[in-house]
Amino acid sequence: MPELQVDLGRGLRLSNPVGLASGTAGFGFELADLVDLDRIGALYTKGTTRMPRAGNPPPRVAETAGGMLNSIGLQNPGVEHVATVYAPLFSQWRCAVIVNVAGATVDEYVQCVRILDGADGIAGYELNISCPNIAHGLDLGRDPGEAARLTAAVRAVTERCIVVKLSPNVSDIGAVAAAVESAGADAISAVNTFVGLKMHRQARRPVLAGSGTGGLSGPAIKPLAVAAVAAVRAAVRIPVIGVGGIIDTGDAVDFIIAGADAVQIGTATFPDPSTAVRIVDGLTEHLAMVGISHLSELRWHPQEPTIGLFAAAGVAPPP
Amino acid sequence: MSTSLRDVRDQRGEVVAVAQLGGGMVEVSARLPHLAGVAKPGQFAQLRCGGSTTPLLRRPFSVAWTEDDVASFVLAPVGVGTRRLAALRPGEPLDALGPLGQGFTVSGATRALCVSGGLGCAPFPLLIRALRRAGTQTVTVVSGAASAARLYPAARFARGDPGVHVEQVTEDGSRGRRGLVTDAVPAHLDGASTAVYACGPTPMMVALARILQGSPAPPIAQVSLEAPMGCGYGTCLGCALPVRGADGQAWTLCCREGPVMDVETVDWDELMTLPPAHVA
Repeated sequence: MPELQVDLGRGLRLSNPVGLASGTAGFGFELADLVDLDRIGALYTKGTTRMPRAGNPPPRVAETAGGMLNSIGLQNPGVEHVATVYAPLFSQWRCAVIVNVAGATVDEYVQCVRILDGADGIAGYELNISCPNIAHGLDLGRDPGEAARLTAAVRAVTERCIVVKLSPNVSDIGAVAAAVESAGADAISAVNTFVGLKMHRQARRPVLAGSGTGGLSGPAIKPLAVAAVAAVRAAVRIPVIGVGGIIDTGDAVDFIIAGADAVQIGTATFPDPSTAVRIVDGLTEHLAMVGISHLSELRWHPQEPTIGLFAAAGVAPPP
Repeated sequence: MSTSLRDVRDQRGEVVAVAQLGGGMVEVSARLPHLAGVAKPGQFAQLRCGGSTTPLLRRPFSVAWTEDDVASFVLAPVGVGTRRLAALRPGEPLDALGPLGQGFTVSGATRALCVSGGLGCAPFPLLIRALRRAGTQTVTVVSGAASAARLYPAARFARGDPGVHVEQVTEDGSRGRRGLVTDAVPAHLDGASTAVYACGPTPMMVALARILQGSPAPPIAQVSLEAPMGCGYGTCLGCALPVRGADGQAWTLCCREGPVMDVETVDWDELMTLPPAHVA
């Protein structure tokens, strides 16, 4: 039987590498009737902030070719509600629940994690240093020094696993990844949404409210996200969680080849809540089909010489 | 914490009939035993052509009718998703995730008035049947559209029930009364004995809400609203609608707390300030 377990560090072992991405799974309760949360490896919660947030005015979502834009504005009930009301209920599911934390300042992240650290049922934290839909949300994620300062400050207050979720809207994602690794991150998830803008032709303005920009997700971003994962993999040694446009097992395998140790399913859950569980089964089948016992054997090592398909199969090429 | 989705299933059905209703409107019927069995009037399903991931997101449609194990939906080909659904042929697969959302409150009010604007006709056939079964003596439908070609066929509201009366209104006067559908509403309001239900474009519903404000309160006054949706089941938080909260304006989710809401719950002034709907 192939081995699907993944070690994210600090004792956080996922039963399998497939997780539900932040913002597409609420806090679990929203879709527990539709997704078997005992079968997935992890659930990354909706971004949680120090104070409750009502979210942005509508329209908040717009479909695009192969994807969608969103500008939800981190609507959430606030960290105290998550710690006292939600967290005690997380243990009803077998999946690890990793709370996604967002803020505008380093202090806000530290306060959130301190409050959450007092609650049972939380497997770790995913620091959202990359939300494109709140003012200043990107600033902490764009600069390697700032990202490292944030990571170190949170590292100082928790022994739980820290995943840092990187923004793709940066010039050198590898530099940000290396900075947060040295500051004590246990793992990196890559990537958050890409900033996008869709126009309303009749109204001659953006479709989404506010500034009109939103975060682009879905299959449209997959090759961009795979490239980001490869760049992060080249820059760090800690586990990498690939996310961006996965809708089937083949997509997940692509991220793993590019260097991911685990994956997150995001937008695909919206039209098809069973996607993540189907990919868990699909990965097991894929390993059996290619005859290997662990996903890490799929990984591409760019420094190694290319082995031609014929050589790999042990046969002579045609004359 | 969240509304239960225990009744929700993702079922692949086979299209059994596609009726062209004129004006571009299409009624698609598919064998969907679960949905047909449990959907309540006003609830919706997220549809896509069977197994298709293009477009990426499903499209939400009210359940218009159920008969044995078949559920029907009314749609018009206005964007990429609806064009593909409208082009379905009998025998082809249709995926339906549902039933979703809150339906209409069906009580035994003596009379009911259904205000239907354009494609807002969709939830009424199922509602009307439920009202009549619950003891409502007469159901009046005021059905409006831009022109005769765009009117939902009157007979499809009643489906053979003699207790259902349909009054048609067109903006260009090509059939029935000339004007806006809401012009026909006041004559049918009689306070406590007539329940009012509405579905249609936002300006129509705002006009109706204003009419109701100046009239004796009906026993039930509900509207079915829409908003761009990502998931349809309360997870993406995309379909925010403005409501009157305890401490002022607040957002609620069309898919989970709606699509049917009490008229007085909705913050109509805020709703009117929102940008126009975008059809993709």
